[in-house]
Amino acid sequence: MATTATDLELFSQAPPAPPARPRVLLIGTAIGAGAAALVVLTLIAFYAGLRADVIASGEVWLPEGTNLQLTPGGMGMATLAISLVTVAWIVQALRNEDRGHALMASAVTLVLGAAYINVAAYGWQQIGLGITSSPQALLIYTITGLHVAMAGVGMLFIAVMAFKAVGGQLTGRAAEGMSAAALYWFVTVATYSVVWYTITISK
Amino acid sequence: MTVTEASRDAAAEAAATATPSTPPTGLAAVVGSGDPRTIGKLFVGTSLLFLVASGVAGALVDFELADASGSEIFEPDTALRLFTLHSTAALFLGVLPLLIGLATAIVPLQVGAPTVAFPRASAAAFWVWLVSGGIVLASYAIDGGPWGTESDAVGLYILGLIAVSVALFVATASVVTTVLTLRAPGLTLRRAPLFSWSVLVGGTGWLLTLPVLAAMLLITYLDLRYGQQFLGGSGGVYNRIAWLFWQPTLYLVAVPALGIVADVVPVFAQRRHHKHGAAMVLLGLAAALGVGAWAQTGVTIDGGATVPWLNEGPWIAVSFLAIVPVLGLFGLWNLTLLKGKVKVGTPLILAQLGALAVLVGVAAGGATAIEDLDLDGTTWMTAQAVLVLAGALLAGLAGVAFWAPKLYGKLLPDAVVRLGATVLFLGAFVAAVPLAIAGTLGQVRLATADILGAEAGTIPGVSGGDVDTVEVLDLIAGIGLAVMVFGGVLVALALLKRRPGEGPGDDPWGGHTLEWATSSPPPIGHFAALPEITSEAPVYDARHAAAGTTEASA
Repeated sequence: MATTATDLELFSQAPPAPPARPRVLLIGTAIGAGAAALVVLTLIAFYAGLRADVIASGEVWLPEGTNLQLTPGGMGMATLAISLVTVAWIVQALRNEDRGHALMASAVTLVLGAAYINVAAYGWQQIGLGITSSPQALLIYTITGLHVAMAGVGMLFIAVMAFKAVGGQLTGRAAEGMSAAALYWFVTVATYSVVWYTITISK
Repeated sequence: MTVTEASRDAAAEAAATATPSTPPTGLAAVVGSGDPRTIGKLFVGTSLLFLVASGVAGALVDFELADASGSEIFEPDTALRLFTLHSTAALFLGVLPLLIGLATAIVPLQVGAPTVAFPRASAAAFWVWLVSGGIVLASYAIDGGPWGTESDAVGLYILGLIAVSVALFVATASVVTTVLTLRAPGLTLRRAPLFSWSVLVGGTGWLLTLPVLAAMLLITYLDLRYGQQFLGGSGGVYNRIAWLFWQPTLYLVAVPALGIVADVVPVFAQRRHHKHGAAMVLLGLAAALGVGAWAQTGVTIDGGATVPWLNEGPWIAVSFLAIVPVLGLFGLWNLTLLKGKVKVGTPLILAQLGALAVLVGVAAGGATAIEDLDLDGTTWMTAQAVLVLAGALLAGLAGVAFWAPKLYGKLLPDAVVRLGATVLFLGAFVAAVPLAIAGTLGQVRLATADILGAEAGTIPGVSGGDVDTVEVLDLIAGIGLAVMVFGGVLVALALLKRRPGEGPGDDPWGGHTLEWATSSPPPIGHFAALPEITSEAPVYDARHAAAGTTEASA
């Protein structure tokens, strides 16, 4: 690292500043998670707008034969809601430097994430719509599929951070990585609550 | 870790130990680099090449329109596709990446950071943008793009544009995170340099916009692939992206450009920016008004188009309010110059030209909101886009000339840059004014399917008696775009040359902000040590403290 004449001349009288502690990963994750949510929410808005137009014209929104059950969607929401507790448990355990609990909570969170993906796949099996059958089907598959992909990324993020925790890299004040993963997961669940309400509940 | 990348920790460590590093050379220095300066230079250089392609396509289209008696150069669908290439390349492959590239290189220096927040992500963003930008252009060669006849090639265009959006998002996120997290101690956001601030607020606007664009492109692609059920196939693609080329989203491109002007003006006025805080508010207002994903063309389930916002309250309010921040900034810059001791320099000239073009473009946008003028959907809007993008480009080039010592380790030759920029500025007005007049005569924006059904001897939207006039206007507009290309090539060539004489020195302009406190070009890691920052112009303050002068006597 070369020092330069300019900075030495200009700042020679000044004491060195204390080092900052940037939260780069957390801010970057917030931006990334926000973008992922925005992609899904854009399509949700698109879906809701189309649906409002169709209903306003006196027609039925979902095509005949659609079997959009409440149970899989509700189970998915409940599963993800429980995972909010477990993901907070991971972060808290790491802050307390309790790697055992952190790993246990990570495993439970990943299982819950897998259960959500399973229930989403079950919902696709039951819905009775081909993707080419109607714009409604195309939108439903795209939105729910994107959200499953978002959850998959979140699970990968948590898994990677859990491995880092195993290696002792994420303890105490250095748990920012897992906090970032938890933030991503919170956004994923919040996004699903909108998907669930718009597609499954209000149909 | 790539060899030329300075991670935050590594850079801090290097600064502490002052260990000299041996930078790689040749291809490895380019392809393997995570150095923000290298990435920034790559963005700037390649975006200028894409802009030349965009300008050539636009000029060809206008020349084609100059004869309504029949297709003289292209078939109507080819002209239509060329126009979409022109606009897509100008925004996504030209002006926006140029500004992002400049921000990638300069913002870390301005905020006293050793590198950008995510150097590897920024490098990946550049290469993804370059390859996917090439794919977007290549798709046109195989009948792709909007209104393309080859479905797979149209799909390739959409996927390429999604990748471009993702890449630009990642590069923007890296710079925005840098401003948020890696500022030197004491450099609060209130004290942030105005370019860095404009990148933060304008970049935030883009972070809110690009995911919306990606989502709309994704559903368009899926609709295209799975039955073309309601989004109009290849003919509907442009409707999904056209909102980026009109107000208010168009104004977001201008925000970092205005930030560049705001950093250049006080340096050449040799005084602090008048009302730095007010300038920050105005830049923030410009960015907030520019978030315009709500103003896009909607669809109905049977493929119809809807624009419920058009000529409604928010649209009208934003159209007029957008003039306020630009006018306000103009006022502050004029006061800064009036109260200072102005030294004329190439960056100042370019910055003023760019800001003027943006101001005229934004003012033109206000006119589209006057319903009685019936300008919406006409070439008036094309003219507005030309002016705003040309203004942003000129301001971006002002930034390149201003920060050339930090980017390239040299000063650019004044004569060529001034000539090129002046030609570019004049070309923009020669292109825009005839298009605006043609818009008042009713000529519809080219990016509509109307042109496909136009009979020989007619121009969509134009009454029979005005056809000859509009033909001449389109010819002049084509000449204007060709002149712009010439100006752009001149400036691009200037990047390859250096000003005769000695090197630029660390601070050739008498700069105000931290980038001028390190060498030209800066070393990897940027700064050996920085003190607590106590103002928005720390180098200016340090210089005057050392000289024992105050601002009044400066």
